[in-house]
Amino acid sequence: MASGVGEQAHGSVASQFYSNEEETAFDMTTSEKVVELLNQAALISTEEKLIVLKQVQELIINKDPSLLDNFLDEIIAFQTDKSIEVRKFVIGFIEEACKRDNELLLRLIANLNMLMRDESVNVVKKAILTLTQLYKVALQVSLSVSDMQEACWDMMTQIKEDVLALLDSDNDGVRTHAIKFTESLIITLSPRTPDSDTPKKQEGDISLDKIPKDHTYIRYDTLCEEGKSALEQLLKFMVHPAISSINLTTALGSLATLARQRPMFMSEVVQAYETLHANLPPTLAKSQVSSVRKNLKLHLVSVLKHPSSVDFQGQISTLLLDLGMSQSEITRCTPATVQPRKRLHHDNALFVLADAPLAEDDEDKEEPAPVVTPKPSSSVGTQSAIDLTAEFLLPLLTPDNVANLVLISMVYLPEVMPASFQATYTPVESAGTDAQIKHLARLMATQMTGAGLGPGLELCKARDEEVKEEDGGAGESSSKDPLIIRKLSAVSLGQAISVVGAPAAYKTPITEEAPQIKKLPEPILPTSQPKAPGASGRKKVFKLADVVQPFSEAQIEKLSNMAIKRILLSEKVIAQSGMSHVRVKLLARLVTQFEGGKKNDLLQFILEDMRGRSELAFSLLYHEYNEYLSQQPSGSLDSYEHCLYTLLSGLQEKPEQRDGLFTKLVLEAPVITDSALEVIQRYCEDESRVYLGMSTLKELILKRPSRQYQYLNVLLNLSSHEKEKVRSTALSFIKRMYEKEHLKDCIEKFALTYMQFLVHPNPPSLLFGAGEDTEVASPWTEETVRQCLYLYLSLLPLNHRLVHELAAVYTEAIADIKRSVLRVIEQPIRGMGMSSPDLLLLVENCPKGAETLVTRCLHILTDKVPPSPELVERVRDLYHKRVPDVRFLIPVINGLEKNEVIQALPKLIKLNPIVVKEVFNRLLGTQHSEGSSSMSPLTPGELLIALHNIDSSKCDMKSIIKATNLCFGEKNVYTSEVLAVVMQQLMEQTPLPILLMRTVIQSLTMYPRLAGFVMNILARLILKQVWKYPKVWEGFVKCCQRTKPQSYNVLLQLPPPQLPNILS
Amino acid sequence: MSCVSHVSLSLHSKRGFDVRSFGTGTHVKLPGPAPDKPNIYDFKTTYEQMYNDLVRKDKELYTQNGILHMLDRNKRIKTRPERFQSCKEQFDLVITCEERVYDQVLEDLNSREQESLQPVHVINVDIQDNHEEATLGAFLICELCQCIQHTDDMENEMDELLQEFEEKSQRPFLHTVCFY
Repeated sequence: MASGVGEQAHGSVASQFYSNEEETAFDMTTSEKVVELLNQAALISTEEKLIVLKQVQELIINKDPSLLDNFLDEIIAFQTDKSIEVRKFVIGFIEEACKRDNELLLRLIANLNMLMRDESVNVVKKAILTLTQLYKVALQVSLSVSDMQEACWDMMTQIKEDVLALLDSDNDGVRTHAIKFTESLIITLSPRTPDSDTPKKQEGDISLDKIPKDHTYIRYDTLCEEGKSALEQLLKFMVHPAISSINLTTALGSLATLARQRPMFMSEVVQAYETLHANLPPTLAKSQVSSVRKNLKLHLVSVLKHPSSVDFQGQISTLLLDLGMSQSEITRCTPATVQPRKRLHHDNALFVLADAPLAEDDEDKEEPAPVVTPKPSSSVGTQSAIDLTAEFLLPLLTPDNVANLVLISMVYLPEVMPASFQATYTPVESAGTDAQIKHLARLMATQMTGAGLGPGLELCKARDEEVKEEDGGAGESSSKDPLIIRKLSAVSLGQAISVVGAPAAYKTPITEEAPQIKKLPEPILPTSQPKAPGASGRKKVFKLADVVQPFSEAQIEKLSNMAIKRILLSEKVIAQSGMSHVRVKLLARLVTQFEGGKKNDLLQFILEDMRGRSELAFSLLYHEYNEYLSQQPSGSLDSYEHCLYTLLSGLQEKPEQRDGLFTKLVLEAPVITDSALEVIQRYCEDESRVYLGMSTLKELILKRPSRQYQYLNVLLNLSSHEKEKVRSTALSFIKRMYEKEHLKDCIEKFALTYMQFLVHPNPPSLLFGAGEDTEVASPWTEETVRQCLYLYLSLLPLNHRLVHELAAVYTEAIADIKRSVLRVIEQPIRGMGMSSPDLLLLVENCPKGAETLVTRCLHILTDKVPPSPELVERVRDLYHKRVPDVRFLIPVINGLEKNEVIQALPKLIKLNPIVVKEVFNRLLGTQHSEGSSSMSPLTPGELLIALHNIDSSKCDMKSIIKATNLCFGEKNVYTSEVLAVVMQQLMEQTPLPILLMRTVIQSLTMYPRLAGFVMNILARLILKQVWKYPKVWEGFVKCCQRTKPQSYNVLLQLPPPQLPNILS
Repeated sequence: MSCVSHVSLSLHSKRGFDVRSFGTGTHVKLPGPAPDKPNIYDFKTTYEQMYNDLVRKDKELYTQNGILHMLDRNKRIKTRPERFQSCKEQFDLVITCEERVYDQVLEDLNSREQESLQPVHVINVDIQDNHEEATLGAFLICELCQCIQHTDDMENEMDELLQEFEEKSQRPFLHTVCFY
């Protein structure tokens, strides 16, 4: 392969000697090829897509990297592909691209960050793998490229933290990958030393030792701390009691890698191995224990082979022996060259985690106190504590003591042999030898230190504190320390004594020893019994109840409120994910089951955006109703009612919304409660929404037959509403419903009931709206009367029969009411028309006391149209047979015969002048413009003549004169010609009418040019011996006087006896 | 997926697996006329050559113990056996049928320099290397592979799956993970 690359490079150099055109042509084709492949990739199946994309990757990363930049975006666009494999490919591509051109990381890190959060674990795992590689690249780039943005590094640091956090992931595979990442991270963030065993391929990799201390944002110290913290996390992870066997295997391997590549960690690694070996997780199955032990052995051997293991050979060998390896094999694996310890020690002392000084403490007493180490790490203390305790125990392990320990510990043996013990137990071959006792002491010391006991630990603690004081706050070491110790402490108490692979003796609680160790500040007594429920550790069956306490009512309330609030507030997020229906259902369910605050919160929330949250509203409502149904028959509707009421009032109080939500809610609610009906009524009373409200109400009436009368009643009540718009809308709705047969009765009854109020002396309190208790009787007013009649009157044109009811009420009502009634009936009566049989019947019957009503009706009917013969007939009948009130005749006067009119005239002209005027208007056709259409039975002349001929016994002269005056007032009608004819006819009558001369004089005054004609009249009167009629004669004389000198001619014709009469 | 055993080749008959089979020893050993007299070939020898060699040596014996049949089948699948340690390809899963082989695989994988950190799971199911056991074991492994293939997330479900199989087959399984 390497030679191939060389040839290629050579070839390209050679090609420069050829034409450049050819090269560009080559480029073109590559570029075109890529375009073509990418176009294909968009359309084909996943499998083919992967093949094509891999071709593209090959072309732009290996064949012609200059194209990489051009097509980067196109490839990255596949990161949202549906296929997991394609997304994994994109990650792989990012890795390759960044390795090819490190600076691309600047652009791609965000994509990687995104893919790290992919929903598929396989993508996440691939991303972690890639990050493991690219973290180093990022660090390298940050150092070498001056304009590398700090943000990129910050992001990488953040991603790094995220991956470390995945050590706690739920997914075994993800954790495995996170462990490997951690391993690589620790190696990068720690210095490479001469004794590092670095793989060839990673020779060039960056590590802490290559970080300059003066970089602008890459801080040597920070990285160093991050590395240490990662190691601590890894160690902490390893002692987790429920660690899976694969994670444990992975971690074991990682530790081995760390130990070889960074021998400075050798001590931590070996100790972690020791701890693990003595405390295999109880969750492992038998075969898993075998697998883990096999691994442990493998890794121990690989660590042992490293030259720097020299200080730990004893411990490692012991472990390997326990794992079943023969001494000869161990020796074969032990490195031959033993490096001088001191050198190692000093090298490591530079690095913080070095443990050599303390480890040597036991043996090399002349060494200076460990205070020289700048920051003694946590593990230093533990390590040394074990050593100290072991040393302390060694002389105490006499055969007697050990025998006692064994006997006592018998009591604590578990009933069933743990799998880990069974798998690992090997008979103790060298019991009683010095080596074995030493080993035993060390094992016990590990347990005791783990449990937080033993003189070694005490000593170390004291020393740590000292150091910390000297460090002046810089000692963060011991703060992390307890993390590990605590984990360990859980191990050794109680049942945990059944530690693997050693005689039971040394697992015994050391009660026996307690009296002997008087110098200890605290007796070790408590170890024999579990201190606290939680302290019995790993093997104890986990019981939730032991570690949690029930919440108080208030806490529960608060938490559940908060939970619901969170669901509420997550509206948008959930909507984006398309799971709104689940949220809606969840909320409705939850809230229905709780009382009080939550419900109101939810309702309030819904009302904030009723339109957007209507689904929630309905869901809640139905759940409430369902709840009610499920509690039948004793269930209460209160909760449902409250919900419906709040929603409806909320909508009602809001400014107008034209979305029909109110209607929808009302119509879809399973039940309309009384309070809800009140809201509907309020809604209808709102002038701006009256139509919508009543439409809704109408729908309710028509579609909810079970309670339709209740709903109808609301609408009916609104028909007498004080607001005109509300009232008229209600009336128009009722009118439409009146057509429905089954509602008709109810509506009629209501209308009549209201009308019946009119017979009461005072208006009922009902009319003043609910709540207004009018004990004090208030008088009827025009308004209250109308209120009682609105509905009735609007029904009247639809059902003429009702008119008789009005008459009945009318007769009983007081005068004020009567007047009001007469005023309001015009419209409906006109609507009924004069052909209405019921109206005719009313006229015919005319109940006593209803005369004025009937008259009014007649007037209304004939106001603009001439009376029909039927009507005239009825009126005539009425007039002649039952109520001889001439006033009845007036409306139909033009329908009467000429002689009837003439007969009635004396009575008519005696009426109130206004009425007389109206009669004349009718008769003369001067009433309206259409008056011409109504044919008067009398011509104007005939009328005037009829007036002159009224029998003075039937009527006083004054009324007659007034009546004639009315005629003369109509100058347009009574022209000179008409008057001439009238005078002519009157003059020819015998006897002469009394008012003849008055009329003559009047005519002359109006039309002076009639003078000649009048002279002629006067002359003729002389022939009729006018002097025999005193009144006429008087007029004659007056006339002659007025018409001097023309009248002289006439006077000359007077017989002599009468002449002096004039002259005198 | 890779399977380190002679018997593993029987998996080839099952569709749907992307399987490679390997040996781990320094030589290919086939049963001979007596337990202490195996037929030994190096990895350069083709199945065809082994077949011919055995036919020449004792056709009846090797037909009877099924070796010829196996070689005949194997040669139709690939020319010659491969050695696991020489294979640089990366696998997701390696199944061994003998603890000794498992150890060799582990040792080999751990001795390689880590690079991609791609995990490879190694599982050992103890199967004695005779024809009958091998067939039984082949079914067991085949079933295991099928189950694994049907998991959504192999790494996450492997532990549980193996526990089940252990219980069902009454054989201890060794299981570990290595990294390329």
